This record gives sequence, structure tokens and C-alpha cells, in this order.
Amino acid sequence: MKKKLLATLLSASMVLGIAACGSSTAETPAPADTTATQTETKTETTTTDAGSTETADASAIDTSEHVVITYMTTGGAPEGNQTDAMLEQLNKILTEKVNAELEVYYIDWTDYLSVYNLTLARMDGTVDLVGTASDWLDAWPNAKNGAFLELSEDMLKTYAPKTWESVSPEHWELCKYDGNIYLMPEDNYAQWTNHGFAYRLDWAKEAGLADGVKSWEDLTTYFKYVKETYPDVIPWDSDGTQYATMVGGWITSHSNYVSIDGINSGAMWGGTKDDLYTVYSPYVTDTDSLVEFAKMMKEWDEIGVWKTDVLNNTTSDNREDFKIGRVAAEQHHTQTWTDLCSHKDGYTIYDDPKAETGFFYFGEETKNLVALSITHGAMAVSAASKNPERALMVYDLIRNDPDCYKLFNYGVEGVSYELTADGMRKTPDGYNSATDGISVNYWWGRNDDLEIKDATMNWDAIEKLYKEYDAIKIDYPYGQFVPNVDDIQSKIDNINDIHTTYMKQIAFGKYQGSAEDIVAEYQEALKKAGIDDVTAELQRQFDELYK
Amino acid sequence: MSKNTNSSSTQVIRKRGVLETLWRYRVLELMCLPAVVFFFLFSYMPMPGIWVAFVKYNYRDGIFGSKFVGLKNFQFLAESGKLFELTKNTILYNIAFIILGNLLAILVAILLNEMQSKMFKKVSQTMMFLPYFISQVLVGILVYNLLNYDYGFVNEVLTSLGREKWGPYSDPSVWPVILVIVHLWQQTGYNSVVYFAAICGIDAEIIEAAKVDGANAFQKIRYIILPGLKPTIVILLLFALGGIVKGNFGLFYNIIGTNSLLYPTTDIIETYVYRATINDFNFSTASAVGLYQSIIGFVMVMAVNYIVKKIDPDYSLF
Repeated sequence: MKKKLLATLLSASMVLGIAACGSSTAETPAPADTTATQTETKTETTTTDAGSTETADASAIDTSEHVVITYMTTGGAPEGNQTDAMLEQLNKILTEKVNAELEVYYIDWTDYLSVYNLTLARMDGTVDLVGTASDWLDAWPNAKNGAFLELSEDMLKTYAPKTWESVSPEHWELCKYDGNIYLMPEDNYAQWTNHGFAYRLDWAKEAGLADGVKSWEDLTTYFKYVKETYPDVIPWDSDGTQYATMVGGWITSHSNYVSIDGINSGAMWGGTKDDLYTVYSPYVTDTDSLVEFAKMMKEWDEIGVWKTDVLNNTTSDNREDFKIGRVAAEQHHTQTWTDLCSHKDGYTIYDDPKAETGFFYFGEETKNLVALSITHGAMAVSAASKNPERALMVYDLIRNDPDCYKLFNYGVEGVSYELTADGMRKTPDGYNSATDGISVNYWWGRNDDLEIKDATMNWDAIEKLYKEYDAIKIDYPYGQFVPNVDDIQSKIDNINDIHTTYMKQIAFGKYQGSAEDIVAEYQEALKKAGIDDVTAELQRQFDELYK
Repeated sequence: MSKNTNSSSTQVIRKRGVLETLWRYRVLELMCLPAVVFFFLFSYMPMPGIWVAFVKYNYRDGIFGSKFVGLKNFQFLAESGKLFELTKNTILYNIAFIILGNLLAILVAILLNEMQSKMFKKVSQTMMFLPYFISQVLVGILVYNLLNYDYGFVNEVLTSLGREKWGPYSDPSVWPVILVIVHLWQQTGYNSVVYFAAICGIDAEIIEAAKVDGANAFQKIRYIILPGLKPTIVILLLFALGGIVKGNFGLFYNIIGTNSLLYPTTDIIETYVYRATINDFNFSTASAVGLYQSIIGFVMVMAVNYIVKKIDPDYSLF
């Protein structure tokens, strides 16, 4: 009996062993019904085309069937019930107006890009409205892969008339690929997502920087001072993922480089402010600057700006630590700084009345600042959506209808927010963000016409910086350029890997040998991987578009 | 089950009809069914999907509707100039895992078998088995907390002993050893069960007889247990060789992460492909690499099986 048992166990373990091999060879199952869905949506589009009238009268549209529209967004699902309570109210309005209700489909931040893309690739009608972005959420690759529905002008005029009117023709032009509109842009919302360092302005002043940090060299002084004066504070508890932004920031600060979004995560190609349409890669040409960067980062590493094993540090929570004074700097964009510089609940650094948070933005030295592309946030409709028309109608409401907009963005008045005497919003007394807050991460169609200012924000400081920005900014010049990278993709993949491999060592000062050697080695590897071919190909496509 | 009964039963089969044979062995067939269904569903059904490695995959057109591009998806691996280094790393690690892993598992199984106290045997077996159930993510965190420079356990001990700190996360040369140790720690308990089972399957009478003839414990191991284990060893080795170009992504990714300083000694095909394709989410390239690995694995199994068959046909898989 015992032997039989053992024999079964033995064979079972073998089966398991083979199973492990088997499942890893298994290919991703084919989305078998894609062709079916495609034809389905095609026919639907044609019928709507035929039925659409120029009057764009919403009441003439057949909404007899009640449908559920699922909206996909990045970010974790909220814990409390308040979001559901808000959706219930919102859905009452939506049902009344367009006989539809809205559900939110959350993509958690862990591996968000893979999960996001995989969810789109399923093409089974799970999601209808898709929050997307051309620079950080693969909007164009997904459009090219067939994940998004082409939005015809008639469709937009009929089902999303207010959105259609509010976006200018030039802006619609920037949402086209191959002549078709795929995205509805968030183009009426002031925000800045250029990166830089948020730091303790009061400490910088103590360190002798009367105007605060104005250059990378000032940062070195600042970090040195913090390390010596406040031994319990880690100057900047970075993790290993910041390398690309750092070197990108360095180059912005030391040249007139303007990068092209969406080719690779390092944004390694672009033009200059004076000569926008000649493509080059500063990572190949600006050797001296890179060597200087490598040297400074080695210095930072030796000062102890970050932990010794920064490249394996995945557990840091630097931003939260900044709010409570455990670290002295946070590298992120202006939008994050607007939050950090405001005196909000739980930001214990402001218990010290002297405490102030300043911002050093990359490009400050050379006044090199590019405004946000309007497709930094945009809404698309999934090509597999079973109700694309209704999805557009719902989007039109949450983007343009004041009641829907306020509910969706701020929650139920009196619970999640209340209005102050001067018309700003603040959190009610006894507010608990876990139970009273909402979270739908709606970053794909915010609207300054309907926004209510947050009274807790430090508007004096924020508006001062925004004014400074407005004076020097240039508009993102490459909005219409959607590169066709099919033929150079394999080269770009390899360049990505080289960039990551070397830049991690350089940007955290972890390289062996001299700065000159490592930069030379890096550039040699880039050349070998064919970076010049990529530059030439991009130039060719540039010439086609801009000449 | 001796060979005689085997051959007589084949004769019986020939005399009767196929259906009758099927009916006669219905219980055995039923026992096979789950495995057959499993392989059909998860290994044979998705096989046509290999095609995705040869197309430019478009979500809406599907695998077979997308544009055929030939070997272009394989281009990126070849162009990287790293194919050799990556394959070498992957294979060397796997050889170390397979050889050391099996030797250690056999040793542990024999030791377990020789243990007299039942209680101790069970307890130690369970303890060795436990690491197998720990998720690779946790293993990665464990290793980091043991070894990191600023507040790792090992460095705390070293400093309290007045020694200099040790920084393995900036020293590529030590990782082959560390990774092999972690792998063995995790897998040995599990692997030894298979060998332990095989030892238990050796006819007790032979061992009795050896004892009567005056064989000591070492002689028993050398002349009875080890030869008895030979078929199991060969079969497990054959299975393992099939996966020799498939790296253990979980182990490497969770322990090394994206610390590029350590890539020269720790980068395997899986981790490289993961990094290179995570940005543009390319099904086709990933499948192309999978196919490359499968083909090498297939060739390896066929070749080794052929050699084994030449040496001793009884031990070959097929």
C-alpha cells in the first residue's frame, strides 16, 4: 500500500515537472473572437454613419437599452465605499440622460503598463472607455495595434458634441494617426509635468543658498549640507528607477535639447530649441556634458545622497517620507510639487513654521522648458467596446456636464468636499480620506472651466512658478509626429537595454573606473547597436512630415 | 511486474479486439485521462499559436490575420550581440543547478533513508521542504535584507565583529555562488522526495539479503541503493536537460532585479527579454524567443536520449 502511494507521488511529481515545462512554452492564447468583434464594430459604425444627422440631437439617438459602460484607469481601487456611493448618484444622472451607467476598472500601479496593455489586448469588451496617454501609457502603439476605435467626425459630432466643440481643429489634428482620430485630449487643463527636485527651501537657505537651489551644483551643496547637519535624514532615498529622468534632466539643464515623446522611455532623440527639426541624440553628441554628469553623480554617491544599494532598493517610499521629514528631496514633476508645497493634513514637516518646499526644475539654468503635450492625458474608446456610441455619450457628460463633472472628480458634496466662502473646495471637518474620499483617477478630460480650486493648496507659490513657466515655455513641437518604428524596433529595444544598463551605473555613480571611460564605453555600445541608423530613419520620417 | 508478465499480456492484447482491450484497461486509462486532457489543453491546443512569432501581431487582426514578417522577430536577439553571452549564462547556471541540485538531492534522500528516528526524519524532511513553498518575491526580499550594504544582517554581524563591510550588490563575481546556494536551499527538499520515493521502491528483500551477507551501510548504498536509483536519475536528468536554455526568471529577476552592475554574470535570456520588451509590449518578439528556447530544448532532449539509448536502451525515455 505504502509503495503504491509513493509510486503515485513519484509519478505525480513528474507530471508536475513536465507541466511546468509545458505551460512555459504555451503561447498566449489567441483572442479568437477578434475578427468577429471587428466586423461587428465596423457594421455598427456604418449604420451610425448612415443614421447620424448634422443636428447632433442627443434625444434622437436610440438609447432604449440600458447599458453599462466600463472605464479603465490606472491606479489601485479605493478602499472605502464612498466611490461607490458617488457612482450611484452619478449613475442616476447618467441613466436619466443617456440610459447608461458607469463602472470603473482599475489597473493597479504594480506593473501597470503590462497589465494595462494586456487588458487592452484581450479585446473581449471588458472595457469601453480607456484612459490613455501618448507619453506614458502607449497610446500610439495601442492605436497602431488596433486596440482603439477610430472616432469618425460624425460619431464625435453626434455622440460627444460638447467635446467636439471644445477641442480646436488643430488639437484634433494632434490626435490623429493615419488620418483617423483615436484620442480625445485633455487640452483644457493647466498642469505641468516637467520634472525636477522638490527640496526644503528653508534648509537650502541655511546652507547658504539665499535664493534656493538654482542649479545642479547648488543641489550638491544642498545635499552635502543636509547630510552633515541632519544625520538622521537621508538626503534622497531614491530607488533604482530614476536614472532616465536624472540624465534627461541633466541634459535639459545643460543644452537646448527638446525630446520627442514616445520612441523609448529614455526619450533619447529630439531636436534643439533653435533647430527643432534636425534629429540628434545628445547621448551620442554631448560627451563632455555626460562625463561631467557621471562625475557629479559619483560625488553624490560618495556624499551618501542615496542608500549604498540604491539599485536594489525597491522598498523606499520617498514621497511619503518627504512629507514627514525623513528625506530632504523628491525628484518628480511640478504637479507633485504643488501638492508637497501645500500645508495639508499629515504633512508634519510644516509643524515647523519655517519649513518651506521649493522646486528646482530641470532646464532652469538654460530656460529650456517645453509645455505638456495635450495627449499627456486622453480618452480613447476600446475597439472591442460593444457600445462605443454610448461610451462617447457618457464621456461627453463627465467631461462637460457640471453636475457629472463635480461628482466624478470630487465626490459627493458635504461628504468628500465642501465649498468655502470664496468658492474653493476643502475637505469637511472630520474628513477621513479612507472612508470619505473617492478615487477614480480621472486624468483624461479634466476641464478648467469646471474645476473648483482646492483651498488647501499653496496657490501663492504655485502661481508664482506657473507665471515663471509661462514666460519661458515653448509648446511641445512634435505633437503630430507618430513615428513608424517597425523597421527600427529591434534596434530601439537593444538601445533601451544599453541605456538602462549603463545609465543606472552612471546616474548613481556606481561605475568602476573613470567617468571618461564609462561614458566612452556607453557611447560605443550605442553606436554598435545602431543608434545612428535610428537617428537617420527618424530624420527621414521628420522630413516627410515637416518639409 | 517482471518482463515475462509484460510480454504475455501483449500477446493477449493481440488476440483480442481493440475495443475489448480499451475496456479491459479502463481503470488505467481513466487514471491517465487527467494527464492526457491536461497536455492536450495546455500544450497541444496552443501550439498553432507559435505562428505569432512570425507575424507583426495586431490585436484586431488576430494571430493568423496579422502580417507575416518571417524571421524579423528573431532579429533583435541576434542584433543585440548578446545572444552568445546570454545563452552561455543561462546554460551554465542550469548545468550548475542540475548537477549540484541532483547530487545534493540524492545525498539528502540517502541520509533520510538511513535515519533511524522516525520523528527526526519527518521533522527534518518537512523543514527542508518548506523553502519550496516560499514565493520567489519573498526570497528576493530575504536575500536583500541579508546582504544589503547599509543595514543587511550579514553586514551587521560583520561590523559587530569589527570586520569590514561586504558589498555583494556592487560585485558581480560573487553572484553565481549566491544564486546557486539560494536555488539549492529552495529546491533540494522538494527534489529529494522523488529520490526518497525511488529508494523506498527498491525491493526490501535485496537489502535484507545484503545485510545477511554482511554488507555495511556504505556498501549497501554503493552497491544497492545507487544502482537502484540509476533509472530515476537518468529520467530526471533527461527532463532537466530539455529545459536547459530556459532560465529561472523568478529567481533571477527577484534577486538581481534591475541592478545593471550585476548583469555580466547574472543576465539570462529571460531577464534580458523581459527588460527589452517590457517597454513596447511585443507579443511576437517574446514568442520568438520562447520558440528559440523550445527548439534548443527539443534538440537537447533528442540528442541526450539518443546517446542514452546507445549506451543502455533500458534507460532511455523513448
